[in-house]
Amino acid sequence: MDLSIVLQFFISGVNLGCIYAALGLGFFIIYSVTRVLNLAQGEFVMLGGMLTVTFYSMGVPILLSTLVAVVIAGLLGGVLYRGVIHPARNLSKATQTFLTVGFAFAIEGIALLIWGWEYRSLPNFLGTPNIHLGGATIIGQTPWVTGITLLVVTGLFFFFGHTIQGKALRACADNPLGAKTIGISVERMSLYAFILAGTLGGIAGAIITPLTMVSYSIGFPMTIKGLLAAFVGGITRAEGVILGGMVLGMAEAIAASLIPSGYHSIFALIILMAVFLCQPRGLLSSPGKT
Amino acid sequence: MKRIAILLLVFIIAIGGTVSCASPSAEKSYKIGALTSQTGKYSGLGLQTLEGIQVIVEDINEKGGINGIPLELVPCDDKSSTTGVTLGAKKLIEVEKVDVILHGSTTALAQSTMPVADEGKTPAILLSGTALFDDQLGKWCFRPMGSEEDYVISFFQYLNEDLGITRVAALLENSGFGQGFEFFMPGIASKYNIEVVMTQHFDPTATDLTLQMTDIKNSNAQALVIWGSGPAGALAVKQARDMGINSPITASFAQGSPDMVKAFGAYYEMSPSLIVPASKTDIWQELPEDDSDKAMCQDFASLFLEKSDPPHPANFYNVLGAQMMLFVVDSLKRAQPDPTNVEKARSELRDALESTENLNLLTAVYTLSPEDHYGSVMQKIMLITFKDGGKILVPR
Repeated sequence: MDLSIVLQFFISGVNLGCIYAALGLGFFIIYSVTRVLNLAQGEFVMLGGMLTVTFYSMGVPILLSTLVAVVIAGLLGGVLYRGVIHPARNLSKATQTFLTVGFAFAIEGIALLIWGWEYRSLPNFLGTPNIHLGGATIIGQTPWVTGITLLVVTGLFFFFGHTIQGKALRACADNPLGAKTIGISVERMSLYAFILAGTLGGIAGAIITPLTMVSYSIGFPMTIKGLLAAFVGGITRAEGVILGGMVLGMAEAIAASLIPSGYHSIFALIILMAVFLCQPRGLLSSPGKT
Repeated sequence: MKRIAILLLVFIIAIGGTVSCASPSAEKSYKIGALTSQTGKYSGLGLQTLEGIQVIVEDINEKGGINGIPLELVPCDDKSSTTGVTLGAKKLIEVEKVDVILHGSTTALAQSTMPVADEGKTPAILLSGTALFDDQLGKWCFRPMGSEEDYVISFFQYLNEDLGITRVAALLENSGFGQGFEFFMPGIASKYNIEVVMTQHFDPTATDLTLQMTDIKNSNAQALVIWGSGPAGALAVKQARDMGINSPITASFAQGSPDMVKAFGAYYEMSPSLIVPASKTDIWQELPEDDSDKAMCQDFASLFLEKSDPPHPANFYNVLGAQMMLFVVDSLKRAQPDPTNVEKARSELRDALESTENLNLLTAVYTLSPEDHYGSVMQKIMLITFKDGGKILVPR
């Protein structure tokens, strides 16, 4: 196989992997702390993209548009917790998970009313041109997606490893009762988890929009992609989600070189099934956690 | 108590989320069920179609209805799901008692309409669907919307006869829409002395097509034919240009929709600019004066601009929606069924649809028969391209 083709598959694999990982990290944060699967996570991605496009079309510089969009998405994460999950905190986790579906429907409906059904796009951040490398092409937005995903991951590791709030979140994830005993407010940590997940979703939406386009209805497909990454890698560990995203992205790229292009998407599901059969808690799940 | 309240709320959301039909009422009217995707992933297609239907209904009612009887539109959202289609069609037939169903969404959803319409003995006109299922239309469904074959011919004829191209690559959506195109492609390609050197596929929700583009770029194709029903097709055009594929590209009418042009107009205009099929209404200003359809297309374009809210030019799916309604109007005028006897009215309307003959509409001239619910169609497809932020006819 020509080297340029191999290089292109690698570039596409990394790019897809970063997108999957960026979408999956929000699930990890919320699930770790609350054991709730936030099926509205894709809506934060949609909002990140839509709001960035909206502010940008009003003349706001792209990076500032992204920042404002991400802040709003984060705040909506807080609204989801305070308005939906917290009042139902005594119900089962399955019920709380189902309530996030209702929230997702509501956000989707409101987005349809505000923005209509049309798809929108953004130019590459700061007009970054495409890079032609050894016969392969790196689309101008790809370095932004990869770079910002790496920054987010680094930031998350720092946050969880070296800050009081991060350590408190981890404590809640590891042992909620123990955390409560030593004075950590699990409810407050849950609120932070939802805000953080909303923020991550908003970032993912803003950075992938120049590559993928955005409309009010992309939330659910994004939720599925993020869930795939989280389940394959292990939803209870950030590095598991990142690994899951990368495995899926690279697998799709490899599949593209080996099987007809119409079957790329089933490859992700085959991997998911294989992982579930061999390692039901994901590739990098924490011992004893589900 | 709180738990019961929450469960009740969840139940209401679930029931309400399944299907929603508006229920206007009128004493004596022809009831038209417009089952379209108003929400969900196909809402772009469904809402545009519904808008076209609404414009015609409003216009007919302002002119006094059909033989003095007004039209009553009953819009129903199929939520872009097969379940939504089935429940929506059943509700329109059994509860709303509509005389006819107009279904505006994708191929898979159109297929779900067919058994319900057949069982409910209610005529249904389908917007979408591949010509591959025309033999399954049964007694009550009609799909007089043309075939992928017509589009394949228009592309390959242009590529070979106008550009002298003999080798193309095809990038097709992995759906019924793409399958229909792929079914007709080999025969028509050989008819125009074109070799399809590579066929790649993409998922309707694909976001990265660089892998397919790498193979296409490394093939010896002189042109690229993209066939998709949604934004992935437009992304394909963008990523082809991003990857340095500078050969002529043709794409489907869906890629010519206003939102796609707005998002990717700069890529569409890159030389050689993108070629897409369009209705004559899309580009009526450019039609020659002696074109017999110019006045009809201009009238519809003006009517649509006046009645759409907010006002905007009619696009391809608006035109197709309006055309579905015009089929019904034509049949109602001929059949003059009694709206108070729904079962008889449905049957008479179906018979009238079957006897449609040389009906000259916005995208084609249609003749239907009891044996042929797809119809003998004389297409009026135009190839257009993009320049200076607008659309122009492809110079031939």
